[in-house]
Amino acid sequence: MFRMDMNDHATIQAVLSGKKEAYGTLVARHSQSLFRVAFRITGNEADAEEVVQEAFLRGYQKLEGFESRSNFGTWIYRIAVRCALDRIGGRKVDDSTRIGGETDPEQNEVQVADEAAGPDRLLLSGEISAMQQSAMFALTPTEQTAFVMRHMEDRTTDEIAAVLGIAPNAAKQAVFRAVQKLRQRLATLRVKI
Amino acid sequence: MNHLTDEELIEYGYGEGDRSAIEKHFDTCADCEKAYGVLQLDLAEMKFVEPPTRDASYGDRVWESLEGWLSAYPARKQSWLSGGLWRNLSFAAACAALLACAFLGGRLWERREANIAAGRHPVPARPTAHPPQRVVVVVLSDHLDRSERLLVELKHVDADSTEMVSPLRDEARSLLASNRICRKNVKQEDDPALATALDHLDRLLAEMANQPGGLNSATITRLQDEMNKDGLLFEVRVLRSRIPHAQRAGANSSKGGIL
Repeated sequence: MFRMDMNDHATIQAVLSGKKEAYGTLVARHSQSLFRVAFRITGNEADAEEVVQEAFLRGYQKLEGFESRSNFGTWIYRIAVRCALDRIGGRKVDDSTRIGGETDPEQNEVQVADEAAGPDRLLLSGEISAMQQSAMFALTPTEQTAFVMRHMEDRTTDEIAAVLGIAPNAAKQAVFRAVQKLRQRLATLRVKI
Repeated sequence: MNHLTDEELIEYGYGEGDRSAIEKHFDTCADCEKAYGVLQLDLAEMKFVEPPTRDASYGDRVWESLEGWLSAYPARKQSWLSGGLWRNLSFAAACAALLACAFLGGRLWERREANIAAGRHPVPARPTAHPPQRVVVVVLSDHLDRSERLLVELKHVDADSTEMVSPLRDEARSLLASNRICRKNVKQEDDPALATALDHLDRLLAEMANQPGGLNSATITRLQDEMNKDGLLFEVRVLRSRIPHAQRAGANSSKGGIL
């Protein structure tokens, strides 16, 4: 009989022994953290939910290859980040083929200037947050993911490198480039306000 | 005096780098200390939209959406051999097998060298034909990849943009033909999930490809709704991710991975 209070390793053993429903406990246990990181990378709920589903699906299929010395939470987190990265990678390729003003920095600046003229500072703060969000989505997928993991998820350089499959120095550089670009955008916003 | 680089300051700001050396530098360099103060303010201002909360039953809902797609792993019998002893024995057996392979490899190498020295070249191995089933799997895998891309584009397409809608219709026409071939092949195998998904896909592709007067905004919206209602994109993703398993089981070929 499968017990809900089993730890992740025991649960995995149960799944691999044919108790498929045991995987439901792992899904329930780790869905929230996966959703959070998926949302931070993809920027919308629908994509984040699909990333969570896809990550658990891939996790199940690769469960036999999961090493018992590893931490399941870290392992499935890594799969989810890779799924999210695939998704924004594809989306950015699509976006780059479009002709339009949404990625035009001049247009963004004008929009901020217009909003800044409004009286409601709270709304303005929300707008700035949204502008920063859009600046983040202008980063490359690797920079964006590295920044999300470093700035929002508090992950170390080594963890970022492991998830992205790059050298620690390259991970550090990706975070550095992301911060520099976002600081430049922040400086522009300050001037406009 | 050499000032700290932005990179070093950022690393320090995130709690990494040679912290004691940087702190020592701050004691003697007001410029770097000031630069770090500005960086700290910038980092503190970098606030982004927080993820919406998910209630406690979210994980259960994710599981419900997945459960039907997963087949149970074959049951393993627990025996006294499982655990530490079995692991040690496995390790010893693996080492022995490795040694045996190295020994045999060395012998074969010596023989080959001797043949070459005697002017007799080894007969090249005849390339083995791949089992036909593998070809079908590869074609199906490619078809599902393309279908997934099309569905993702359909999901995110701006229905009012004719520039974006027109390539979708062309791709749907092309996929419609390959989908029919795949359906025909799948009918010969006992895979109802795959057959159903390809049927759903066929209906959607046919509507996209053959809509009189082309795809308009209303049709796109309706197709998006239908696709979401049927969970077609997820269905295709599940089937696509099953392919390496099918390939492994059916064609008995190398292990595949999708991470």
